[in-house]
Amino acid sequence: MKKTINAMLLLMVMVMMSACSSLGVKPWERGSLSRDDMLMDADALDLAFDEHIYFSKEASSGGQGFAGGGCGCN
Amino acid sequence: MASPCEILIETDDAELARQLCLSGQREARRIEQKFSRYRDDNIVHQINQGQGQAIDIDNETYRLLQFADRCYQLSDGLFDITSGVLGKAWRFDGSNRLPGQSQLDELLCTVGWEKVEFNPQYVRLPAGMQIDFGGIGKEYAVDKVLTDLKQHCDREIMVNFGGDCHASGPPAQQGAWMTGIENPLKPGDAAEVIRLARGALATSGDAYRFIVANGKRYGHILNPKTGWPATDSPRSVTVAAGTCTEAGILSTLAILQGKDAESFLDAQQVKYWCYR
Amino acid sequence: MQLKNKKIAGLLSVATCTLLGGNAQAESETWDIDSALLIYNETDRVSAIEPVINAKKDLGDDEILSMKLVLDGLTGASANGAVPSSQPQTFTRPSGKGSYTTQANETPLDDTFHDTRVSYSLNWDKPLDRNNRRNLGFSFSREYDFTSVGANALWSHDMNQKNTTLTGGLSLELDAITPVGDTPQGLTDMDDRIRVSSSEDRTLLDLLFGVTQIIDKNSLFQVNYSLSQANGYMTDPYKIISVVDSSGEPAYYLYEKRPEDRLRQSVYGKYKRQLDNKDIITTSYRFMSDDWGVRSHTLDLTYRVKMENGYFIQPHVRYYQQSAADFYHYFLTDTQAIPEFASADYRLGEMTATTIGVKVGKTLSDKHVWSVRLEMYQQSGDSSPDEAFGQLQNQDLYPDVDAVIAQFNYSFKW
Repeated sequence: MKKTINAMLLLMVMVMMSACSSLGVKPWERGSLSRDDMLMDADALDLAFDEHIYFSKEASSGGQGFAGGGCGCN
Repeated sequence: MASPCEILIETDDAELARQLCLSGQREARRIEQKFSRYRDDNIVHQINQGQGQAIDIDNETYRLLQFADRCYQLSDGLFDITSGVLGKAWRFDGSNRLPGQSQLDELLCTVGWEKVEFNPQYVRLPAGMQIDFGGIGKEYAVDKVLTDLKQHCDREIMVNFGGDCHASGPPAQQGAWMTGIENPLKPGDAAEVIRLARGALATSGDAYRFIVANGKRYGHILNPKTGWPATDSPRSVTVAAGTCTEAGILSTLAILQGKDAESFLDAQQVKYWCYR
Repeated sequence: MQLKNKKIAGLLSVATCTLLGGNAQAESETWDIDSALLIYNETDRVSAIEPVINAKKDLGDDEILSMKLVLDGLTGASANGAVPSSQPQTFTRPSGKGSYTTQANETPLDDTFHDTRVSYSLNWDKPLDRNNRRNLGFSFSREYDFTSVGANALWSHDMNQKNTTLTGGLSLELDAITPVGDTPQGLTDMDDRIRVSSSEDRTLLDLLFGVTQIIDKNSLFQVNYSLSQANGYMTDPYKIISVVDSSGEPAYYLYEKRPEDRLRQSVYGKYKRQLDNKDIITTSYRFMSDDWGVRSHTLDLTYRVKMENGYFIQPHVRYYQQSAADFYHYFLTDTQAIPEFASADYRLGEMTATTIGVKVGKTLSDKHVWSVRLEMYQQSGDSSPDEAFGQLQNQDLYPDVDAVIAQFNYSFKW
């Protein structure tokens, strides 16, 4: 498991280093990206509900946000 | 301020009126001296000559930069105080000479507000870049003079610098300030008289500064992304808003929207007058 | 949105106030309210009703305060961990008062389960300068036998002309558990009713690091790594595990017991793209692994179709797969030594789960949005594992969980 995680971290760092300098848009090209439904946390209430439901039914939680559930259900 | 300036106040106290006008004139001069880019003894000159070094700034300069930053963001980059250098390629003298694209491309490399680093202590421009408060300086002066004068006077005041004006409230006798909007097709004639009770008006347009080439008209308000003026812009746009600074920004952005000027202004839900 | 349709006058006016040093009407006059009602219903088991309201206000200069209130009313029965038997089984209720009986060949369900949870959280997001933001959050949650307080801090830094955002943060949560009928001693006989304390606690510390990157005008991705350390009481005080005799019939029941530490790591990636026809595709993947031996993969996909007149339809699929915790057992046998830890909680078993759903909504003028979401969730595992013997071979040792989720959202300004 450690190996997988390390490989993933390495991949992440590589993606960061290689991608970030060449990717991107100019400030005036942000039209589509600034729309509500293109935000990473669009449908925030749905995401919160899902996180809560799956927290109480499965052994995993978090990922996009913190893993804590604040709930006695699991 | 290369235009006639007036401060109007309805009073029978001549001494008060004289004092207010003097103090308004002093403040307007101060702002012009501090932020004009045609001087070599002010902060703007220091910043532009910084050669990539950080230049210490005072609070007022910081607030103007912060405001320019906000406008840049809100306009998705259409309002950019580093775009003044593009004017080097254009001569708006009524002639028909268009700039070469290669010259524009070269100048565009030195345009881009996002390359400027600033904070309350200092501002740092990459070498070769320049800032220019021309797009907000006059309107800021109108608002600032009015705000200052109001602190010494409980009468309503109107400050008018060359057609960009701001009234603190309606004059008791007349109920509104009579303000004329110039018709760009007939310079010198008031096309419409607006009764302004309170708030501000600002006008942008190419009434005097444009060139005509290949049968097309090119106004002096340049798009900082392309180096070219918008095509199919209104000849002049006057916007009414709470302050002169807001009205000025909105009218400038409207010109840059070209044929979409009216729909942009409709979306802002402000009063405006466009002449095409 | 193109500038020609974008309303900037209000924000411009705020900026002007700051410039002129006037008493900024810096704050916007309205609150953005998101409200929703969730109805969750499992076939023959738990059902829940959960209203939520989230209020958000821009205090000016991009400083944003939000508050959230969640109510959660739960009723119904839930699996107690024991295996089905060819004979009726009787269990003492967790309170010690009374008992309930499960019919032969049925999955034992504890029907004493109802609870109301109230949870409040507060979030304060503030720009520190042009490229840095700080987000502080506090949460408090209370239910009948459980209290939780939490605080978290997230810092984000924009780079490359705001095309890259680095995020780092930590969260601390303190939970207190006061089980009905006190905390049982783990791995002791249910009928002996050995109690060790009236309350237990645990702490959770989470670290999160992430990168969000804009790829082009229409797409962006996010990658997060998180590390979560939990210490303290993580056993479910109401769950038991059957100890079966040589014929596979339950001889007695032990309270379950889980380790007091858990270290979890996860890697999460999300990609979002707007297509030429303005539809939006969102996919995410999470890999999670912990030192209890659980590993999981989660894949999530939504596709938002833009329709005429502000309507949208958004189908959703989710696939989840996990391996069992090392100490998960369907049952124990009366000939084996009692292990250090053991749990028969189905949530720690090997399983796959799929969700399919659809959301339909409409954006009315001025950002009023309503939407309805309907989803079906199905969880299944190995109902006839190899280790089953005797009468256990005739039983469903890992019954499916089927749930229907219905949700109504309404967002407005107030």
